[in-house]
This record gives sequence, C-alpha cells and structure tokens, in this order.
Amino acid sequence: MSPDILDEAMEIWFGPQHVSAHGWATKLTLVGDYVVECDPNAGYFHRSAEKVLEYKNFRQGSLVLERMCMLEAFLAEYPYVAAVEKIAELEVPERAKIMRTIMMEMSRLHSIQFWWGQFNAELGFFTMALWPWVDREYSLDAFEELTGSRHTVSYSTPGGVKYDFTDKVLKQLDRAIKRFEDRLPKFRDMQMGSPTFRARTKGIGQYTVKQGLKWGLSGPPIKACGVPMDLRKDAPDPNLAYNMCDWEVPITENPDHPGESDALDRMEQRFKEAETSVQIIKQLLPQLPEGPIIDPKARAKANRLPEGEAYARVEGTRGITSLWLKTQDKAQTAYRAKIRGPCIASYYALKDLVPGAKFADFIVIFGSLDPYPGWWDR
Amino acid sequence: MSESTGITASTLARQIINRHPQVSSRPLGTNEIELVVPSDKIRGVVTMIDENVHDALPESIFGIDLENDKYELIYIFWSHSNRMLVQLRVSLEGERPEIDSTCDIFPGFEWHERETREMFGIEFKNHPDPRLLLLPDELEGVFPLRKRFQTDQSRLDETGIAPPKARPKTGGDDE
Repeated sequence: MSPDILDEAMEIWFGPQHVSAHGWATKLTLVGDYVVECDPNAGYFHRSAEKVLEYKNFRQGSLVLERMCMLEAFLAEYPYVAAVEKIAELEVPERAKIMRTIMMEMSRLHSIQFWWGQFNAELGFFTMALWPWVDREYSLDAFEELTGSRHTVSYSTPGGVKYDFTDKVLKQLDRAIKRFEDRLPKFRDMQMGSPTFRARTKGIGQYTVKQGLKWGLSGPPIKACGVPMDLRKDAPDPNLAYNMCDWEVPITENPDHPGESDALDRMEQRFKEAETSVQIIKQLLPQLPEGPIIDPKARAKANRLPEGEAYARVEGTRGITSLWLKTQDKAQTAYRAKIRGPCIASYYALKDLVPGAKFADFIVIFGSLDPYPGWWDR
Repeated sequence: MSESTGITASTLARQIINRHPQVSSRPLGTNEIELVVPSDKIRGVVTMIDENVHDALPESIFGIDLENDKYELIYIFWSHSNRMLVQLRVSLEGERPEIDSTCDIFPGFEWHERETREMFGIEFKNHPDPRLLLLPDELEGVFPLRKRFQTDQSRLDETGIAPPKARPKTGGDDE
C-alpha cells in the first residue's frame, strides 16, 4: 500500500455506541468505500471472570460462567460443572444426563433464534428479525418454568441438575419445538429464498478452512466450510447423552467454492444446526428414565476438591467452549480457572477478513460469524 | 480437507522428542497428551505441530501463577481429523519472565498472548502488537491475575479508579 493512498484514509470507530455494537468497538480505516485496515478492540465488557472464579466455591462457579453468554446459558455453564465433576469424580444419574442434554440443545436453538433476529436487524430485514424473536419467547417460557429465570438459568450443578421436569415444563418444551417446526419452512423461504438477502451475503467474508483453523475458529464457521468438526461427536462427554440418539453433524458444502465458506453458507449452516438440535431433543424426550436428578452425595463431595487439573469442553452454539481448572488439595475455590470462549477467534479473525471489503459489508462479515462479546472479554 | 495424514498423540510426541530430546511427555487421556517443553524450545515444538498436524486448531494459551515468581504457560491444540488434544506446559521463572511469541505460526494465538502478557506480566518476544487487550490503561503493569494482586479495596489507589461512595449505615435515615 503506497503511503499517498493512506493520506486520504479516514478512521471510523464502529462502536461502542453503535446500535449493532453491543459491547465492542472496531477501528476501521477507510479509503473511499473500502476498508483497508481493521483493528478489533476488546475489553468493553470485561468483568474479570477468571479472577472472580478464584473466590467462588465449586457450586457457585457455574453461575459466573453462564453470565459469559446468557443466550446459551445452559451450554455456557456446563464446562465448569464438567471440570468439577472430573476432579471430584462424581457420578451423574442417567435422568440428569438426558435432561442436561435436552436443555443444552434448547439453549442452542434459542441462541440461533436470537442470532437470526439480530443478524437480520443488522442487515435491515426486519420481518425476519422479529419473527424468530417471537418464537424465542416460547423457549424462554420453558426456561422460566423450569428454573425460575429466563436467561441466568443456573441449571447444571456438579453431580446432576437442580430442577426436575414437571408436566408443565414438558408441555412448554413440546410447544416450543412444535412452534419452531411449523415456522421453519417459512423462515427458510423468507431468508434463503430472498434475492436481496442472497445478493447481500453471497461471496462476502469468504475464507478457507485452513485460514479459519489458523485463526482458531470452530463451530458453525468451520462446519459451513464442509468440515464436520463437532465436539458432540468428536469427544462425546460421558455425562451428556449425545451418543444415546441418532444424528449426523450438520455441514454445508457449497459446490461453487468447496472448502470455503461465505456469509450465505454460514446462514444455511445455522438452519441445519437448529434442525439438528430439534432432532436430538425429539429423540431424547421419550427416553427420559425415572430416577434421581442428582447424586445425593455430590453436594458434600463438591465442597472440597482434591488436588487436580481438568480440561472440560463443550460444543457451544458458536464453537468450542471450554474451561481449564486447577485446584489445590482440599480446596474450596479454584486455584486457576481459564475460560476459553469460541468468539475470541471469530472477533480476532476480522482483522484479516475485513480489509478489502466494502464498509457496508463489514457488519455482514461480523454478524455472520456470530461473535458475542462476553466470550472474548469474560 | 481429505488429506489422510492421520497421526496419533503418541506418534506426534515421539517425533517431537526425537527432534527435541529435552521435551518430555505424559498421557492425559485417550489420544490426549501433555508435553513439558523448555521455554527456549517452544517455537521448535509449535512449528512441528503446525507441520505434522494439518488441521491443528490453536485453542488457547494461558498462564498460571505458582507464586514466588514461578509461572507456567499452557498451550492447547486440538485436531478434529485425528480427535487429538495436545497440551504443552512451559515453566517460567523471574519477576518478568520472557518467552518467544508463536503467533506468526498460529495467528489465533495473538490475542491469547496479549492477554497473558497483561494479566501475568509474561513478555512474549517479537509479538507484533503487545498492547493491552482487555484492561484499561490504568492497569498497565499491575498484572491482576497474579496471586499477589489482592481484590480488596486496599489497592484501589494504584488503579486510579474513583472509590465507590460509602454506603449509608442504616437504610432510609438520610432521606
């Protein structure tokens, strides 16, 4: 880049007060309509969660985790619970395993519904923004009935889950799933069948698998390139029930550019992700056995943990979500807890992905990766 | 991505140890391995992972404060095609320990290194962008995730942040 081009360059801060920038700010350098430099900034949402975890006991810790991403709270809190279970060697009852998995998939569904709305609002398609948000209320009703809270659910706990499914919860889950299935063909038609939407996203923010992996991307942004990278299949957690049902990892392969993905592929991928979640929930619901939902000794065992290290991971809505936990002997709190959110990679990726794109396409690239600031700021 | 260069964790460990005999290994689980790497060999080992594992995903780098100026760094890699997890452990010592940056090999590590630097005071040599990532400028050089950083209000002066207003002693009296 010759220096005289940069003489005409203009710097623009996208966020933190922009309506689409919920907790982040990116400095863009523009020449004319094109972005020549992108500098994503983090830290606007930092709540020092890792330090806080050093002062919380092992039953409180998951409450901090779910605040990293409230849209997928059931998934976000799980790595902490799993890490504690690994160190304390807790057994989880069969019923709790299935209930956890069902609620985690409901959480994924809810998060995708929210993202549809948010992404479309950013692009200016307001019908598709509000319709999924109506459906999302049905999932939230079930969460509220089950846990008493719509977002900060604190459901999983070391050794099991906190609340049992009542008839009303089952009815509401059923209603949310039915509603979603009814409306899915309409959504697909409205979204993928819209020539405006296709023109707006086709070929935008395109990268190869190799590039994506080097940035550290995981989850839908990689599966949209046609690689079935999914921890639910690759490293099945013994305390979850993903191996008790029959499903395939959803991938999107675009014949126009095999091994690459653009914003349109990533939208298609989210449709498949949501369908897979519904498929898993529908298979697991009838399999619910009778029995306890928590190991009665778990509470006492999780009070003080032996010395140990554990790394627990879960396939979140946005990719690999994990927690690395180190404890000292007879510890009541973590010695070190490291949260790894998937979005630290997708936000970082903008630095390489955005330069060369038009300014108006910045939000398409950003939105299609579905970054949530809680995951990089923590 | 149909390259069928499958590799297991133990094969990778053997290849790395053959090249760098100072490295030692410890199994963590099924196809999960930990390599204890001397700090001056980190670039060699990360380069070997990049060359031998075609879909290595740089998951995370983070520090652990073991107190008395002792630190550990953990590097985590995941390979989907091999279902393989590799964890590197590096011991560091000193008031401001140093290690070579690896973010030219795996760009995804750039922010993890920035975060480890601001939180633990571990310097990554040749890092292209060593600014603060999450912390405000007032907390430069304070290293909040070190164990000696106390979170009570006794250190509030150092941060330059205004202290919170004192709470009223009894509710409702002031009104």
